Amino acid sequence: MQYPEPIAKLIESYMKLPGIGNKTATRLAFYTIDMQQDDVTDFAKALVAAQRDLHYCSICGNITEEDPCLICRDKQRDQSTVLVVETPKDIMTLERMHEYHGLYHVLHGVLSPIEGKGPKDINIASLLKRLQNDAIKEVIIATNATPEGEATATYLSRLIKPAGIKVTRLAHGLSVGSDIEYADEMTLMKAVEGRQEM
Amino acid sequence: MYLEQLQLTNYRNYQHLDVDFSPGVNVLLGANAQGKTNLLEAIYVLALTKSHRTHNEKDFINWQATFAKISGTVQKSSGRVPLELLIGKKGKSAKINHLEQAKLSQYVGQLNVILFAPEDLSLVKGAPAVRRRFIDMEFGQMSPRYLYNVSQYKQVLRQRNQYLKQLKYRQADDQTFLGVLSDQLAQYGSAIITQRLDFLTKLEGWAQTLHQDISKGKEKLTFDYVQHLKGQATLKQALQVDTAHEIELGTTLVGPHRDDVRFLVNGKNVQTFGSQGQQRTTALAVKLAEIDLMKAQTGEYPILLLDDVLSELDDARQTHLLKALQHKVQTFLTTTSLSGVAKTMIEAPRVFQIQGGHLKRRTKVNG
Ligand SMILES: Nc1ncnc2c1ncn2[C@@H]1O[C@H](COP(=O)(O)OP(=O)(O)OP(=O)(O)O)[C@@H](O)[C@H]1O
Ligand SMILES: [Mg+2]
Ligand SMILES: [Zn+2]
Repeated sequence: MQYPEPIAKLIESYMKLPGIGNKTATRLAFYTIDMQQDDVTDFAKALVAAQRDLHYCSICGNITEEDPCLICRDKQRDQSTVLVVETPKDIMTLERMHEYHGLYHVLHGVLSPIEGKGPKDINIASLLKRLQNDAIKEVIIATNATPEGEATATYLSRLIKPAGIKVTRLAHGLSVGSDIEYADEMTLMKAVEGRQEM
Repeated sequence: MYLEQLQLTNYRNYQHLDVDFSPGVNVLLGANAQGKTNLLEAIYVLALTKSHRTHNEKDFINWQATFAKISGTVQKSSGRVPLELLIGKKGKSAKINHLEQAKLSQYVGQLNVILFAPEDLSLVKGAPAVRRRFIDMEFGQMSPRYLYNVSQYKQVLRQRNQYLKQLKYRQADDQTFLGVLSDQLAQYGSAIITQRLDFLTKLEGWAQTLHQDISKGKEKLTFDYVQHLKGQATLKQALQVDTAHEIELGTTLVGPHRDDVRFLVNGKNVQTFGSQGQQRTTALAVKLAEIDLMKAQTGEYPILLLDDVLSELDDARQTHLLKALQHKVQTFLTTTSLSGVAKTMIEAPRVFQIQGGHLKRRTKVNG
């Protein structure tokens, strides 16, 4: 027997989300049918609003309701450093630390030919443009410690350094408060490589 | 180290198995297709989470079941370590001392095994890929760093090959990015080569002694690591000189994924000039040398798994093999019948009769 069309469509929609297969989508769809009507309406509105009301900041690529974003408009922030991240989510994480007061730039991915992402497919051109006009003295690269994240960092530094701008990379190593005993061998290895003189 | 106990649930043709092994020689006796290799494979998988026979991990699960479980206790100089590997339809999870490990790479290395199957006799004769696989599997067990470098290298290589193809079909044109990928590949590749050279030098030392023994002092075995660097001094340079050709072919032409090891007996390449017997002696010496290398690298002797190899070797080579392992390494050997040299030489073997996925301990070797 086939599912009635409304539920089949709902299953199909859930399956478009990352990491959700047929089984989970079916479970979610049947759960949705049994939800309070108000909750379902709010849910649907939130989905539509998230796309309609959010834009990418034309300067840094962060998600924002207004363009430019709050961070780019904040003149109190240190205008001489730009921290480069892979996703807008990384900005949220870094902002929670309340320690970094400079600007950001979101690449929206990393260089990965396998996924069809070359230098023109991620947000690099607008970064280079920013570096021409602004008073930027340092670029901090905070891409992940994957091979692709490392290649992207190296690529950026080769483009930026000749312009006389300082390029730095976030350090990798042990997380604070974590026990050496529970760190995996590669984290330890990176931590040893990146050790600092005291 | 040795494997004290092994439990299997739904592993291939073993629905349920719970067995105590001898720290010495364990003989797995049985007719064809009864589960001898399956049992060795289970021990191998418990050690490495991968099989030498298949890439498809669903094959491990009994046809009537939805998951398979391998668990065992390993005795080491540092104490007893319980290990457990669960294989489901969607993947694996591993526990050391009842604690689930976040990464399988953290788990590998607890139990060290060396497997010797008839195919290994083609280590010398076979294609370079056979020798590279041998090197990567064995050195990976001894060094998490080697394992890490190999997996990073493979990923960068895939990216670089893909980018070369995109350059070829003019879907890309950025030479700076190609340079970045080349340097990154050179970085992991050089690390791999340095470690290979180091391990191979050590392995050569032990293999030489064993080989001299087996050949009664008449022959000298040496290793030669072969790289194709296009006339350049370093891999980094070699990756820069021929990019036009690489773009044309859409693939990376230099690096550890193309390297090879040559085995020389009295200076002559055994692969091309050696007799069948010389090739086998060399393969045997190299395999047995691994036992000592692993002991030197990890501080413990590994476990030796011998699948049907005795029947492939003549009496003299069988004698050398048994001499090299007895009273030193825990050994599991499979055979359809125990006879000849093995029967007289192996001291106090624990013999198990295998039939249709069931194990029975035998008190007598004969009858
Ligand atoms: N997933 C599985 N579930 C059930 N049975 C399986 C599974 N995988 C393999 N088998 C069975 O295991 C048997 C093979 O066992 P194995 O390879 O261990 O034989 P063997 O005793 O080593 O034989 P030989 O002496 O020929 O090498 C086959 O009969 C096969 O049908
Ligand atoms: Mg077999
Ligand atoms: Zn912004």
